[in-house]
Order: sequence, then structure tokens, then C-alpha cells
Amino acid sequence: MLGLAKGLKYTLKQLSREKVTYDYPNEPLPLPDRFRGIQKFYPEKCIVCNQCANICPTDCIQLTGKKHPDPTKKGKIIDTYDINFEICILCDLCTEVCPTEAIVMTNNFELAEYSRDMLFKNLEYLDENDDNVRQVNKA
Amino acid sequence: MIQEMLQSSPGWFNFIFFFIFGLVLLLVVLGFVTYSILAERKVMGYIQLRHGPNQLGGRFGLLQTVADVLKLLLKEDIIPKMADRPMFILAPVIAFAPSFMVLATIPFTDRFQFADLGVGLLYYVAVSGLTVFGILLGGWASNNKYSLLGGARATAQMISYEIPLVMSVLGVILLSGSLNLNDIVHAQKHGWFILLQPIGFIVFLIASTAELSRTPFDLPESESELVAGYHTEYTGFRWAFFMLAEYVYLFAMTALITILFFGGWMAPFGFLDFIPGAVWFSLKFCVILFLYLWFRSTFPRMRADKLMEFAWKILMPVALANIMLTAIIKSLFF
Amino acid sequence: MIKTEEMMLNVGPQHPSTHGVFRLVVKLDGEIITEAQPVIGYLHRGTEKLAENLQYTQIIPYTDRMDYLSAMTNNYVICHAVETMMGIEIPERADFLRVIAMELGRVASHLVWWGTYLLDLGATSPFIYAFREREMIINMLNELSGGRLTFNYMRVGGVKWDAPEGWIQKVKEFIPYMREQLAGYHSLVTGNEIFLNRVKGIGQYTKEDALQYSLSGVNLRCTGVKWDLRKDEPYSIYNRFDFDVPVQESGDAWARYQCRMAEIEESLKILEQAAEQFPEEGEILAKVPKIIKAPKGEAFVRIESPRGEIGCYIYSDGKKEPYRLKFRRPSFYNLQILPKLLKGENIANMIAILGAIDIVLGEVDG
Repeated sequence: MLGLAKGLKYTLKQLSREKVTYDYPNEPLPLPDRFRGIQKFYPEKCIVCNQCANICPTDCIQLTGKKHPDPTKKGKIIDTYDINFEICILCDLCTEVCPTEAIVMTNNFELAEYSRDMLFKNLEYLDENDDNVRQVNKA
Repeated sequence: MIQEMLQSSPGWFNFIFFFIFGLVLLLVVLGFVTYSILAERKVMGYIQLRHGPNQLGGRFGLLQTVADVLKLLLKEDIIPKMADRPMFILAPVIAFAPSFMVLATIPFTDRFQFADLGVGLLYYVAVSGLTVFGILLGGWASNNKYSLLGGARATAQMISYEIPLVMSVLGVILLSGSLNLNDIVHAQKHGWFILLQPIGFIVFLIASTAELSRTPFDLPESESELVAGYHTEYTGFRWAFFMLAEYVYLFAMTALITILFFGGWMAPFGFLDFIPGAVWFSLKFCVILFLYLWFRSTFPRMRADKLMEFAWKILMPVALANIMLTAIIKSLFF
Repeated sequence: MIKTEEMMLNVGPQHPSTHGVFRLVVKLDGEIITEAQPVIGYLHRGTEKLAENLQYTQIIPYTDRMDYLSAMTNNYVICHAVETMMGIEIPERADFLRVIAMELGRVASHLVWWGTYLLDLGATSPFIYAFREREMIINMLNELSGGRLTFNYMRVGGVKWDAPEGWIQKVKEFIPYMREQLAGYHSLVTGNEIFLNRVKGIGQYTKEDALQYSLSGVNLRCTGVKWDLRKDEPYSIYNRFDFDVPVQESGDAWARYQCRMAEIEESLKILEQAAEQFPEEGEILAKVPKIIKAPKGEAFVRIESPRGEIGCYIYSDGKKEPYRLKFRRPSFYNLQILPKLLKGENIANMIAILGAIDIVLGEVDG
């Protein structure tokens, strides 16, 4: 009976303690800077080196480049850049290998959509996703 | 007034009168059930460092249960293909009806009582025993193995715990010399029976928790083992009826404990008589209700075989010893 | 005459307390189990086969998803295996960060076990209390690695991130808080007579059984075998810390419960010392080639995860992908004793026994 009484005392004490739940949809979740959310993509920084597509463990990145419109400049610029968020596991490896930090993580994580097709995010979407961008990208 | 009508000759007027009164009581009870579910969720929430319902009906979620019930009523009524249809439909009714019938004898205040039976306590125990048929039927008719196990467990548990439940009240009956609930309340004018019958009270509390199949005795519907026990296959308003029966029993049992051990509607001291009986009743009622909610959020579940052992090997002898002790005290000092 | 027959009951894959998609086909005589047959594979993702086409760095996020309650130890085992093959020395600071992260993960994992086990036994509140503390750990690991559950924190040769400013201080502050909460847990559950009634003498097996079934971790230590790889085959920097290996003799669910609760305390001890000795500065990543190629050959390493010995075998033919990768997943091995334990028990005990083994289905199915 003593053990039961001890337990009752413990739960009674909890009654007046501070609540630990988040008021999530009403208030945004506080997330640390390093949090790995939906990527932000800077098309102007990208040099079409294909490293992100190669390192991706789930092969969810597809990109194509085109010749630089200014004929005096060498190299390529990005044409299309798609991430399939149905299979992206937000592992952060693409941002880790990117030599120009053209792709970085943000703190946004709300990906719910009504259709699977809408999880296929293109260059415009990733470019516009520019709030809560991670400050420090390389350790 | 009700006493007079009960003794007058039967007629249409009486029937309509009682029907309306019954309806009013049903609504009162439904209101209680609504808010006791909310209270349960709130108390458990606060103990578990959560807020509980706080979206619908203001900060305290006052309309949450109403919304839940509405949702249940709107749900598709599913009867499994292989279920025993008539029994499946009948079971929730059988489970619920006695739970409402027992409320008739409970004196909420000195005037507000429906039937002042001479054997009120016996009536309560006898009628509440009927519910187990509904539960067993529901478990059997669902044609689901989990339901069957839950129903069998419920039957075994409720029948075994009814015995210590009645035995523990015998002490109270010995002291008050009556089975009438009004007389029992009046006998507590000079001291609540919890002071004279502490052992009886503890046994009654434990046995009543088992009767209500609440934690730590919630084996019939133990979620982690039997999914939902006897009402696994029930949905919508049929399921709501089982839930309703459970909470109406909670209401009735809490009221019964208030009457048997805490002096019912009477003020604890004579000089506090100016406060109406209904207030005292509901105060005591709330304290006991909180006790049940508190137990639920603290204890783990008992094991089926240990449960039976506990009923027959511990509670029964203790209750019998309590009767002995009470009889000796009664013959020596009263 | 009354005809009785045995009933076959399908427990799972959708059942509240099979901890995921675990299925158990039991034959019942009344409520007594006469035969139990675990059916696994509902969460099989083929990590090992997938790894054959992945570079070593790419395998790390996949290991996060095996034992998702303590992903740090999985991260470590694959990195450790590759490092062993390549002969890479790990910087001291990286080693400390790894140990702190792994021990935090161990505490979090045991907390989840404690909460869900009590939930299985019918007590609802401990679950929330355990998750309150776990949330603090998860938040700390989130600050460190950027993930709450799938950390992807370790790299071959070190770790990805250095500790953010003030993070070690947070760990230091967490330790006394956790000790206080642990005392509360003991007063809530450990002395509770109903709880003791449910776990004492349940799911008992002997030392010989445990060794024959190749159990590891707490499931082995509860029978009196003092075997903890952190002590017996020290990897990383575990030999620098002073801690005990909790051992119980009786081999029942109650012994496993006590072992795990004591292990939380030992982990806190390690954390305390690691946070104290944490080097002021230093590298967090050793010099490794940009494309990691393990030399031709094979390696097997094993470490102590919260659930037991997790091992990693790599056979490499010198390419950047492994030729064959194999994980020794402790939950899978620990589960094998279940049919033997369940015979003759009733349904209520079935849940208590399954819960006490502490399986994670992501790890069982691989």
C-alpha cells in the first residue's frame, strides 16, 4: 500500500506543475538554427556541378543545366531543379557537398499537401522558400 | 409528493408525470456524463502536464464532449457481417438500461428522490448486476476474439467483485439497521460511516472500482491487451451506449458512496445546516469522483488471474472480518 | 459433453502494444497461450541490400532509420566500421561529442522504453512524464545535429557539427534535473505493488538460455552475465570514464526493469564526466579523402546500443560502395526467445514479456 500512496502523491504534485505541451499550430515551433527543413535553392549561385544529385541517398534531386546566355562566360547555369519530397529524407547531404552553398536548409517543415504530385517541388518553389533560412551552413 | 403518487392508484396522469420526471433525470444525468468525461480528460490532462480539451467551447473545452457525442451519432452504424445481429443490437440496451434504473433509489437531497424503497441498497446491487449480461452479450455477439475475451473477463470480474462489494456494505447496514438509503443517511447525523467503517470503506472503494471496471481494474477493455475488449466491434451510438452506461454507473456509484459513507446531503457539522443539502451532496460527490480520476491516472492495470485471487482471497475475508468486528462493536457499545 | 477448442488469435500487426508492426500468431487455450509464432518483416526496407549501391556517407542516413530510438549508436557503428577499415584516427573532441550524443540517446531510448512499458501495463501517466524528459534530450540533439530523431550526425572520421555555444552547459544542467526526475519515477512506479505484481517472475529465463539464444544488452545482463562492450571491449573513449555495469540475477521482467533504470543512472554518470572533461577546442573531423574508399578486405565491429550489441560487418572490394554490408541488429536476436517465453503464459503476461524485451521494429526488420 505504501508504494501506491507514493505514486498517488507524485501524481498529485504534478497537478499544479507547468504544462509541457506546445501550442503548435497557433504558435510556430521554436527550432534551432541547424534544423533540417525544406531546402532553399539559389539559382544564381548554382554552377550545375551535379554533386547534390550524386550524393543524394534516395535519388530525389533532378537537375538540368544550360549554356550560359552570356557567350563570354564559361560554364553552365541551372535550368530546372526538382526535389521529390515524397522520397527526400532531409538528410542534409546535398547542402553539405554544395561548393557554393546554392542549396541550403531552412526551418520550414510543413509539407502536407492534398496530392502526391504536389510534393514534387520545382526550382521556383525552392527559390521562393526563403524564410527561416539556416544561418551557418558549414561546420 | 412522489411518495403519494407511488401509492395512489395507477392512471395515465401518473404515467405521464413519471415519464416526464424520468426524462428530466435522464437529461440531468446526460449533462453529468458530458461534464464528467470532460472532467476526466481535464484532470488526467493536468496530471499528465497537458491542457486537455481546450479548443471547442472556450478555453476549458466546455463543448468538446458535446461535439464528440454528435460525431458518434453521425457515424456510420457498422454491424459486422458475421455478428449475431439481434444480440448485437440488444446488448448496448441491456447494458445501459439498468444503469439508469439504479438512479431511481438514490436520494440526492432530502426531497429529491424518485423511489424511497425499503430495500434501496439491495435494489441497487441487484439491478446493477444486470449490466454484465449486456457486456457478455456484446462480447459474444460481436464474433470477435478480442471481444469474447473481454466479455468473459468482464463477467468474471464483475461477478466476483459484487460479493465483497455487498459484504463491505453489510457493516453499514448493521450500524444503521436499515437497507433504506434515506435511513442510512439519517443514521449518520452524529458521524459519517467512514469513521465507523474505515475497513468497510476501503473494501467498498476497491470493489466499486472493479465494478466500474476502471483503472487499475479495467481488464474488460484493457486497451493494450484486448484492443478495446467487449466493445471492439461497436461504433457510433451503440458504442456510445456502452460508454454512457459506464459513466452513468460512475455517477451512481459515486452518489452511493456519498450516501453510504459520507452522510449524503447532510452538512458535516450542525452549524453548517444553512447551506442547502444539494451543495453538500455535490461537494462530497466531486471529491469522490476526483478520487476515481486520480486512481486512473496513477495506477497500472492488474493482471486477470491476480485480480480474481485478490477478490476471493483478500477482499472477501477482509469484508467478512469487518462484518464480525462491526457486529461485536454494535452489540457491545450501541 | 462440453466441447472446447483452441483459439487462434492474431495479435498485430495493428495492435496497440506490439510496438509497431509486429505480428504474433498465438494459440490460446482460454487465456493461456499454448503456442506463439512471431511474424516479422512488415517494416523491412532492405537497408543492407540498398547499402551495396550507396557510398559510405550515404549509408549513414539509412542507419538512422534502423533503431530509430537511438539513431546515434547506429551512426556510430557504421562510421566505426569504416574507420577501422581505413585506419583513421578520430580527433579527441569528435570522440567526446560522439560519446555525449550516444549516451544522451541511450537515456532517451530507455525513457521511451520506460514510458511505453508502463503504458502497456495500463498506466497512462508515466508515458507523458518520460516524454517530457525525452523531449529535452531530443531538443538538445536537435540543436546539435539538426534532426530530432534521424540525426545523420556522424561522419567517417568525426562528426558533422561542432557543439553550439553553451550546449555543453545545457548537458551539464540536464544531468541533475534528470536525476531528480528519476527519483520521481521510482516513487511513482518502482514501489507500486500492482506493478511489482505484474513484472516479478514474469518472462524468466536462465543464464544458459540467454547465452544460447545469443541475447545481448539488458536482456543478457538481467540473468547475471556481466557483459557490456563499453567495459569489456572499450571502443571510442569509454575507457576514460568510471561507470558500473548494472547486473541483476533473477532474469525476469522485473530484473530487466531494474537494469534499465540503473543504466540511465550510469549513462548520466558518463555524461557528467564527459561534459567535465570536454576539450576546450580541437578538430571535429579527421583528415579523410573526399571520396571515401575502404580498402579491400573485411571488418566487423560491435558496440553496445541501448538494446544490446549492434554489430556491423563490411566486406569491401576497394570501391566507394561496400560489396556487402551486414548489421547484427540486437532487437532481432533478442526477439528470438519470445516464443519460448510465451508458452504457458496468459495474454496479460504476453504484453508484459514482449514489452520487457524492448524491441524496435525498425531494427528487427532491418
